[in-house]
Amino acid sequence: MEYEFPDELKYLQTHEWVRIEDNIATVGITDYAQHQLGDIVYVELPEIGTTLKKGVNVAEIESVKAVGELMMPLSGKIIEVNTGLADNPESVNSSPYGTGWMVKIEIINNSEIDELLSVEAYKEIVKTEKK
Amino acid sequence: MDFVPHDDKTVTEMLKVIGVNKIEDLFEDIPKDLIINGLNLPEGLSEPDVLKKLKELGEKNTIYTNSFLGAGCYFHYIPTLVDFVISRSEFYTSYTPYQAEASQGYLQAIYEYQSVISRLTQMDVANASMYDGSTALAEAAIMASIITGKNQVIALEGIHPEYIDVVKTYCWGQNVTIKIVPVEELKNELNQETAGVLFQSPNFFGDIEDVLILAKKIKEKSPNCLVIQCMTDPTCLGILKPPGETEVDIFVAEGQSFGISPSFGGPGLGIFATRKKFLRKIPGRLVGKTKEIDGEREGFLLTLQAREQHIRREKASSNICTNQALCSLSALIYLVSLGKTGLREIATQNFQKAHYVKNKLKEIPGYEILNTKPTYNEFILRCPNIDSLIQECKKLNLLPPLPLSKYYPEMKNVALVCVTESNSRESIEKFIKALELANNNKEGCD
Repeated sequence: MEYEFPDELKYLQTHEWVRIEDNIATVGITDYAQHQLGDIVYVELPEIGTTLKKGVNVAEIESVKAVGELMMPLSGKIIEVNTGLADNPESVNSSPYGTGWMVKIEIINNSEIDELLSVEAYKEIVKTEKK
Repeated sequence: MDFVPHDDKTVTEMLKVIGVNKIEDLFEDIPKDLIINGLNLPEGLSEPDVLKKLKELGEKNTIYTNSFLGAGCYFHYIPTLVDFVISRSEFYTSYTPYQAEASQGYLQAIYEYQSVISRLTQMDVANASMYDGSTALAEAAIMASIITGKNQVIALEGIHPEYIDVVKTYCWGQNVTIKIVPVEELKNELNQETAGVLFQSPNFFGDIEDVLILAKKIKEKSPNCLVIQCMTDPTCLGILKPPGETEVDIFVAEGQSFGISPSFGGPGLGIFATRKKFLRKIPGRLVGKTKEIDGEREGFLLTLQAREQHIRREKASSNICTNQALCSLSALIYLVSLGKTGLREIATQNFQKAHYVKNKLKEIPGYEILNTKPTYNEFILRCPNIDSLIQECKKLNLLPPLPLSKYYPEMKNVALVCVTESNSRESIEKFIKALELANNNKEGCD
C-alpha cells in the first residue's frame, strides 16, 4: 500500500501533518493514519479561542472501529476548526490533506517548528510501523 | 437449544484432544493451599424433596397484603401482560444482542424502550438502560465531569441517601469531589468549577421541586454546568412536567415502578436520558435503527459504540458494558400497556390516594406532616410513637412506612409514608386505624 505524504508539510510521530503559512498552522491526520482508523464517522473539535500546549489532545477522531486523537503539534491558540467535518467526516478519509483538515492554530512559539519532522523522517517512521 | 450434558465418552475424548488425563488436571495451576477441601454442604436431594424444602423456606416470608413503604422501591399494580411477554424464552433466556443478524427481536424491543423513555421524559435520547437509579445518577455525575472538564459536583439535600453513597463511590474512583448542600445554599456554592448539580424531585422526603425554576437558576449562575435530575418513582411523570420541558441536561430515574416487582429491593432499572448534544458522551448501550446497504429493509443494531469501553478503553466515559435488558423490557411492556392516558390515571390515583391519607391525618391528633412543598405519593410524618405505629401496621398485615432514623438518626419518630394506586380504600382505612391505635398507645410505649 502506497500512502501519500506531501513534501511541503511537516509531520509528527503520532501521525499528524502540519501546514505552516506565516504564523498559522493547519493540522490534520496523515493518509496513513486515516487508513489505520478506517471509516471516520465523527470528529470532535475543540472550542475556538482555546490556547493549548504542544502535545495535548485537541480533537477526537472516531471511526466505526476505533477512536484516535489529534495532538497539538505546536503550542498555540485555536483560531478555526473545520466545521464541514460535522456533516462530512468521511472527507478525512477521502482528502486527509485537503477538506479533511481539522484545526488552525496561531503559533506562539516559533522555535517549536524545528522539532517537527520532515517528510523523509516521517516516511521512515511509517515504514518501521508497518513492519 | 436443549441442554445436552456431556457423557463420559465425550469427556474422555475432549480430554484426550487437549492432552490431559482427567478433569482435575485442568485445575492444577491453582495453588494447593487455595483449594478448599470439603465444603460443609448437605447431601443432594431428590426433586420432590427440593421443592418441599424451598416451599418451607418460602413460607418463612411474611407476605404483607398492602404496603405503605416506598423510599425507592414501590408497590404498583403490574399488568399481567408484562410477565407474559418477558417470560417468553426468546426474551427471558437470550444473551446480550451483539450480533444484529441474530438479535433483531431484542434490539427492536430495546429501541422501542428508548423511544418510550424519550417520549415520556421529552428528552432527545435515552440509553438502553443502566443497573438502577443510583448507578444511573453516578454515571450522570461522571458524564458531567467529562463534558465540562471540571471535577466538582454538587448534590442537593433530599437525594436518596443510598444513591449518594453510590455516587460517592463512583466519584472517588474518578477523582470527582461531591458536596452536599441544602437548596437554599446552592447559589453560594455554584462556581466556574462546578461540573454538575444533582437533585432529586420528587425528593427522598416526597417534596416536589419547581424544576423549571431550579434548573434556570443553576444555569444563570453556572451556564456550563450540567443540571441532573433524578427520581425514584417515575410514574409521577404521568402528571408532572417532563424534564425535557425544563433546562435539565440529564434525567435519571429508578425504573422499578414500571412493571418490575419490588422483590426484596431488586433488580431495578436505571433510566438515563439526555440531550442530543451529549449523545457521544452517554454511558452504556444505545440501539439505533438503520437501513440495509442494498435495499430498503430496516433493522436495529447497537450503535455509536466508539463511546464504549471496548473501543475507547480507559478514555470511555463509563465502564458499563451491559444493560438491564429484561427489566427494560418490563418497563416497555408496562408503559405501552398503560398508554398515555393509563399512566396519567396511575399518577392521578397515586397523588389522590396519598393526599386522601394526608387529609385524614389532619383529623388524628399527635401527627404532623412535615413537608412544606407539594408532594406526589410520598410524604414525611412526625408520629407520636413510630415503634408503636410499626407494630400496629404489622398486626394489620400492612408493610409499615420507613422510619427515617434508619438514614437520619436525628429524625426520631418521623416516618416516610408511601401511598400508591395499589392501596385499596380498605387498606387505607386499616392504615388510618393503625395510626390512631399508635397514638393511643403513646403513653404505654414511651
